[in-house]
Amino acid sequence: MLIAITVIFAILPFAGDNPLSKAGLQQTMAVAFLFGALALTYDLLFGFTGLLSFGHALYFASGMYVTAILINDFNVHFLLAIVGAIFFTSLLAALTGGAALRTSGITFAMVTLAFGQAGHVVVARDFGGFTNGDDGLPVNPDRLPDFFIGVVNTKYLYLLALGVLVFIYFAAWWITESSAGRVFAALRDNEQRVSVLGLNPNRFKLLSFVLSAAMAALIGATMLIVSGSGSPRYAAADITIALLLMVILGGPITRWGAVLGGILYSVLSTRLNFISEGTALNSLPRFIGGPLAEPAFTLGLIFILIVMFAPGGISGAYYRARFKYLNKGK
Amino acid sequence: MSTFLLILVTGVGLGALYFLVASGLSLIYGLMGVLNFAHGSFLTIGAFSGLWISTKVFPNPTTWTFLASMLAGGIVAGLFALLMEQLVINRLYNRHIDQALVTVGVSLVVTALLGGWFGFDARFLPTPLWFMKAVTIGDAIIPIDRFIYIAVAAILLIAMLSILRFTRIGLIIRAGVENRSMVSALGINVRLAFSTVFFIGGFAAGVGGVLISVFSYGVSPLMGGSWLIYGFIVVVVGGMGSIAGSAIAAMLIGITNQFANYYVTGLGDFVVVIILAAVLLTKPTGLLGKVSH
Repeated sequence: MLIAITVIFAILPFAGDNPLSKAGLQQTMAVAFLFGALALTYDLLFGFTGLLSFGHALYFASGMYVTAILINDFNVHFLLAIVGAIFFTSLLAALTGGAALRTSGITFAMVTLAFGQAGHVVVARDFGGFTNGDDGLPVNPDRLPDFFIGVVNTKYLYLLALGVLVFIYFAAWWITESSAGRVFAALRDNEQRVSVLGLNPNRFKLLSFVLSAAMAALIGATMLIVSGSGSPRYAAADITIALLLMVILGGPITRWGAVLGGILYSVLSTRLNFISEGTALNSLPRFIGGPLAEPAFTLGLIFILIVMFAPGGISGAYYRARFKYLNKGK
Repeated sequence: MSTFLLILVTGVGLGALYFLVASGLSLIYGLMGVLNFAHGSFLTIGAFSGLWISTKVFPNPTTWTFLASMLAGGIVAGLFALLMEQLVINRLYNRHIDQALVTVGVSLVVTALLGGWFGFDARFLPTPLWFMKAVTIGDAIIPIDRFIYIAVAAILLIAMLSILRFTRIGLIIRAGVENRSMVSALGINVRLAFSTVFFIGGFAAGVGGVLISVFSYGVSPLMGGSWLIYGFIVVVVGGMGSIAGSAIAAMLIGITNQFANYYVTGLGDFVVVIILAAVLLTKPTGLLGKVSH
């Protein structure tokens, strides 16, 4: 089923005249695929391992900026630059994660938030003169392959993003189904039991932290190519909070839930603007129409309702419905 | 020397503003274990209420109308906090992660709602003319608004400490911060303490919102978010659940921020984060932390 959907999405841009054959929607979808993948890496931490981190954006932005800096300033081939960025980010995650994991629970969330903010400050204030501050850092287009440049070629960016999403999906599958992945789940459910069984909880938490950071770095590097430049807003805490919303919206611990949540959130937050520019909302009084024109209003409301009344999000609701259906005869 | 004094007073003034945001956060987390991401919304709502009083109700700003703005900001934000506690937080009893998540949703909705109604551009909040003046201490010229922040925060600090120390509900709150299950097991109604803490926290944040609008020259729906992060940092450094800890941490962070920014623009934010990491790694409960949950 998932494979069929992926194949359809991969073919659509090339199959004659349909909404996805237009560059605008391809760009939107490429970004959405990447956020779907990023939400999955966050789910690996939050859903599968039970680590509430508020600094995940740091590793995403690190992948993005290190790639850009290696390409622009050091003239490195873009594939090598991506590998370098993943390597650097893994090191960064091992250091920051190692320090943060000396605490747990809400304190862990706060320490990661602090590291994330520090990263945002470094990028936005341009310490060291590498990141170009608030203006964002465009990647030099001459150093990227021709088929990733220009509006005509947006379909290749779209395919690239879809490919990265599929890769991350299988990587996350492999990790969560591996024996280490089972320890992650055990840590979430009962950490004391894990240590009684003779395993070092912190070592596995750090592994989960570094793996998800490394994947986030790959997605960050891809986002750099798709959007053409790095921007400090990708390093802000807002991104991590958005990831949390995506995972809750789609439902944690199901893999496809996080991906779906990420794609939906990303598409809705860009497209709700367009919908609201239609006539329907303009005829409403500003008292109601104004807030409805803000995607965050609708998304925030949906989010509150899901947390209060439908924990488990979309995938949770799906599995509950399927469970009911399968047990109907009994 | 004059520069030193100016930076010091500005730092303490900034710390006073941090304290107004952080004190409620700290009490709410200390008593209920709720990490309140909607606290920034309390601040923003307070600022908009103050703006309404200062522009629509009393168009000619005087000292009294400004006091009215602060009071209105505090009360409206406090009532909103109470409403949120009753409608949303109460229903998720003891589901701490969900409570935190739902406050994230509330903050998104409030920001979008205010943005939809009033736009995202900063609006100027009129103040009495004497706010713009400066006083001379020795050879240092210090803008007078700093002293207003400090005075208001000091009054609220004393008020909060008195409530906690001398009233029955304050006693319940203090006991609840140390061991909530024991307090409920003794048959004491903790729910009332929850509501009180939310109202007090909302009130302080609302008053803080009006003052922050003066400090940062405007009211905008986005102001809550950036101050919330500082609020968190202050709470964690000071220790969850401790008002005095918040006050000390707010001063420490405000002053360090100003001095660091004086030497390298933008370094302040970075140094604050380093302080946070250092405190947490050496003393995970914060300077005066009491809560262990």
